[in-house]
Amino acid sequence: MAPLALIALFLPLASAVAIALFTRRNASVSAGISIGASLGAFLISALIFNQLRGATAPETLNPNWLSIGDFKVDFGVTLDALSQLMLLVVTGVGSAIHIYSWGYMRADRSVSRYFAGLSLFMFSMLGIVLARNFVQMFIFWELVGVSSYLLIGHWYERASAADAAKKAFITNRIGDFGFLLGILMVWAALGTINFSSIADIMKANPLALGALGTGTGLLIFCGCVGKSAQFPLHVWLPDAMEGPTPVSALIHAATMVAAGVYMLCRVFILFTPEALSVIAWIGGGTAILAALMAVQQNDIKRILAYSTLSQLGYMVMAVGLGGPATAMFHLTTHAFFKALLFLGAGSVIYALHHEQDIWKMGGLKSKMSVTFWTFLIATLALCGVPPFSGFFSKDEILALALGHNMPLFVIASIVAVLTTFYMFRLVIVAFINPAKSDPASHAHESPSVMTLPLVFLAVLTIAGGFIGIDKLYEVALGKTELGNHTVAMAAGLGAFAIGLIAAWTLYANATADSLTTRLGAMAHWMRDRFYFDECYEWLNRWTQELLATVADWFDRWIIAGAGVKGLSLAAELGGGLLRLMQTGNVQTYALLIALATALLFWRYIL
Amino acid sequence: MTILTYIVLSPLLMAALLLLVPNTSQLRTRWGALLATLVSAILATIAFFKFDPAIAGYQFEQKIPWSSTLGISFHLGVDGLSLGLIWMGAIVSFAACCLSKDIVEREKEYYILLLLMTGGILGAFASLDLVSMYVLHELALVPTFIMIGVWGRGKDRNYAAYKITLYLSAGALLTLAGLIALYIQTGAKSFDLPEIMGFAVNHPISLPAQNYIFPLLLFGLGILVSLWPFHTWAPLGYAAAPTGTAMMHAGVIKKFGLFALLRIALPLMPDAAQLWMQILAWLCLGNILYCGLVALKQKNINLLLGNSSVAHMGIVFLGIASLNLIGVTGAVFVMIAHGLLAALSFGLSGYLYQQTKTLEIGRYGGLLRELPFLGTCMIMALFAGCGLPGFGNFVGELSVFFGAWKEHKVPVIIACWGALVIGSIYMLRAIRAIWHGPITKPDGVMCDAAGNRLPFVILLAALIWLGVCPNWLVRRIEPSLKTILQPFSNRSQAVTPMPIPPVAKR
Repeated sequence: MAPLALIALFLPLASAVAIALFTRRNASVSAGISIGASLGAFLISALIFNQLRGATAPETLNPNWLSIGDFKVDFGVTLDALSQLMLLVVTGVGSAIHIYSWGYMRADRSVSRYFAGLSLFMFSMLGIVLARNFVQMFIFWELVGVSSYLLIGHWYERASAADAAKKAFITNRIGDFGFLLGILMVWAALGTINFSSIADIMKANPLALGALGTGTGLLIFCGCVGKSAQFPLHVWLPDAMEGPTPVSALIHAATMVAAGVYMLCRVFILFTPEALSVIAWIGGGTAILAALMAVQQNDIKRILAYSTLSQLGYMVMAVGLGGPATAMFHLTTHAFFKALLFLGAGSVIYALHHEQDIWKMGGLKSKMSVTFWTFLIATLALCGVPPFSGFFSKDEILALALGHNMPLFVIASIVAVLTTFYMFRLVIVAFINPAKSDPASHAHESPSVMTLPLVFLAVLTIAGGFIGIDKLYEVALGKTELGNHTVAMAAGLGAFAIGLIAAWTLYANATADSLTTRLGAMAHWMRDRFYFDECYEWLNRWTQELLATVADWFDRWIIAGAGVKGLSLAAELGGGLLRLMQTGNVQTYALLIALATALLFWRYIL
Repeated sequence: MTILTYIVLSPLLMAALLLLVPNTSQLRTRWGALLATLVSAILATIAFFKFDPAIAGYQFEQKIPWSSTLGISFHLGVDGLSLGLIWMGAIVSFAACCLSKDIVEREKEYYILLLLMTGGILGAFASLDLVSMYVLHELALVPTFIMIGVWGRGKDRNYAAYKITLYLSAGALLTLAGLIALYIQTGAKSFDLPEIMGFAVNHPISLPAQNYIFPLLLFGLGILVSLWPFHTWAPLGYAAAPTGTAMMHAGVIKKFGLFALLRIALPLMPDAAQLWMQILAWLCLGNILYCGLVALKQKNINLLLGNSSVAHMGIVFLGIASLNLIGVTGAVFVMIAHGLLAALSFGLSGYLYQQTKTLEIGRYGGLLRELPFLGTCMIMALFAGCGLPGFGNFVGELSVFFGAWKEHKVPVIIACWGALVIGSIYMLRAIRAIWHGPITKPDGVMCDAAGNRLPFVILLAALIWLGVCPNWLVRRIEPSLKTILQPFSNRSQAVTPMPIPPVAKR
């Protein structure tokens, strides 16, 4: 199995390299190669899953990548239920999005570069999924960051896209800083970076990390905070929407941002109870913060971006509450319906010639029926309506919170209300209300290369709750202790009802957002993301940039000056002192000679 | 004559040959230089593969006695430490020759100096005799000053030449003093390195002597490598130097200080080293953090690259300061990867300068569409510079952090911040300003290096190769470093069990 998995891993890389080197000028060939590689990886993943069915494959293949003394990094693959399912999710959703991209990006100037980027991303993401040790994961972690950077900045001539790409990368790097330190601490404490050895050691001795166990866990968690855009490093994800919409669907909704959660589940055993409770609260906080921000956004992609943040918060919270299987279940269903939502949004944007403001849409229900119905299915799944897949996973999360942490349960329920509210605000304003702009009234359904992936994902969204995904994750990660299901379900459905009624009363046939005036200043805060960006900007300006300015000044005027001047001064001073002795006065010389003779006499003869 | 001798002699002989060429025929000097460096590069690659990692000692040895009374000889040989450096140096010198096309004035003199530089530095790496090592290094160093003064660019070039001469001469002088003191103190009556080493096994240098010789070498060599706070010559010098010189100096010659530290100072003076490495671990943060911050503020491409190159030297120092196999191997790996990277970066910026006569970042913008090849190369170089996997630098930096973590926790934390965060900020700012965004074109013809892509491709390919298959190089470095670090391996076991200071949360 392991060689097969390696083929699945390297297929997209080969595609990226081939496109970059040979087929830059031929868009269709590049797209074909990339789509083929993704489908190939999907087929292989399905084959692997069909063979193993969640059983863990023995770690037979161990190619060594780097070996210095006792620092050994192997380049193997992990194949357990967790990675098998994740492989399917990444390659399945990825393939749908690859195909969709061929429709969406057809008119672009650099289709080849785009597909090379997608392939590079697939390679890196599969690498994270298959990684067997921390260093291997870190390598792909960074590569995922690069491919995300390249794809957000696909339209790099637009200043906003170029800035967003840069911001995403640097914010992620801050998280990676903590992640790397965490890895170093694990290595120093346990003497290994291999996940399986770490698990063995931790099982034998849960306190193996010593007094710094909580700190180590939280540093590892930093990686997740960056990649999965958790508070306080959540600021990059909404800006990342500057990239092409399929990229947002694949990377910034379904897969890459979920890598943080995946990593937490992979090394779940490392976290102490204290670390877990911090993780749970960060997740819960992110969930509610992002949901509040989503309520006052008007850009269709931004609404979905904040929704992604909020759902990632749910997943992280679930990990923190001791339910990695639950988190992975939600990750999977979320990958289906959030990718579907983004692709639906992309279909709308495509039909409206790159209009993204929902208040300039409307009336799309009848004009774009496939897009509308699939979008509605995904919305219902996101809001946790039975029998869609989101219902099952969200219900589990609510039950988990109910069983372990009452305040977080309340927060999670409020988030559920807000989710339904902002999603139906979007659906009502953009699809159901009458058209409010010229492009909206002349919109047409997108071509079938785009709608077919929508239908495929819609099927997954509907079926996702019934096909036993949750059971498989429990095999890999252990069964989660849940609270009372009935209460949780009631809370979830109640939240849906409240949110739906509120959205309907406020937005049915509305032409402008009346909530903005009602909320007053609060609305501004929500729309402007609670001014986090401004705060960070200010903080950076007065700490790092200030230090840099001081360092630059110091370098230019003090060190540089002192070095050169010091050296030349020393030479001049030496010369000056020597010059003093050359008086030209014979008496002085005679005196000096006499003194020197006396000195020598005293030193050697007396 | 071994293959090694040919690698070193090929550029030197060609330099002598070119002296005979009359000034009128200009074409032949460039072709001659290209030929000689190409021969060195090919031979170095062959030597790389012929080198047997299983043998711990020196290989391809050649010894010609010169002054037996003083114990001086012309003694060449390589081990894992110098092998990679020679390979990298030979490749970089070929690339530097390729990218010197813009030199039209006094072409002959330029190429002769470039060849002297190449032969000198390759010889210095290959030398096993302290005198020939020092002399050959000077042979490589002195042309730098002349080249900046004669073919340099910008209004600051005289000041830069003056400054770099002053600093590097001071560094070389301190080193010389250290080496002579070493010769006297060892009592082996020889400048031959293997002989001194053999002698020192039974007659270690006394502690007081170590305590004054080691700092002489550390700071003398440190100045040559732009150790903070003796670094300011570097960015200025590289901004003023012609392309080929900047590539050779930043890429290859600068590594000599680090090489000599590992070759001479550490194995001969382990006691003093142990003490001074505690200080070096903090000093190197001056390079990594402080120069990283300075780089944030630069508005000239070469000043930015120069500061970043100084920052990378800090990571090498950190690796050396760890005094363990992982860290020092990482340091040597960074030295080699950074040599390729610095040459690539300065080659690219030089190519831009050649066409536009400016390196002010503000004058550029959105050029990726116009210059896809140069842009892609430079973006990859900047990525490599901020330590992304896939390039050699990542492997080295990672090993340095893993190696140094045990000995120097707080410095590693700060270094990680410098390498991961500050590094990526200035690198990405440069990409954003030069290649992304709305298009801003400085005057001048813009050509995407058509017809002269080979040097960039070679350097980039080597860098990626090292990043993808690091074992290929590590396998050769590791055994020699084990020998060099022999004096420390026993000590660390005796000293290690120290309570780990709580540094997790700050």
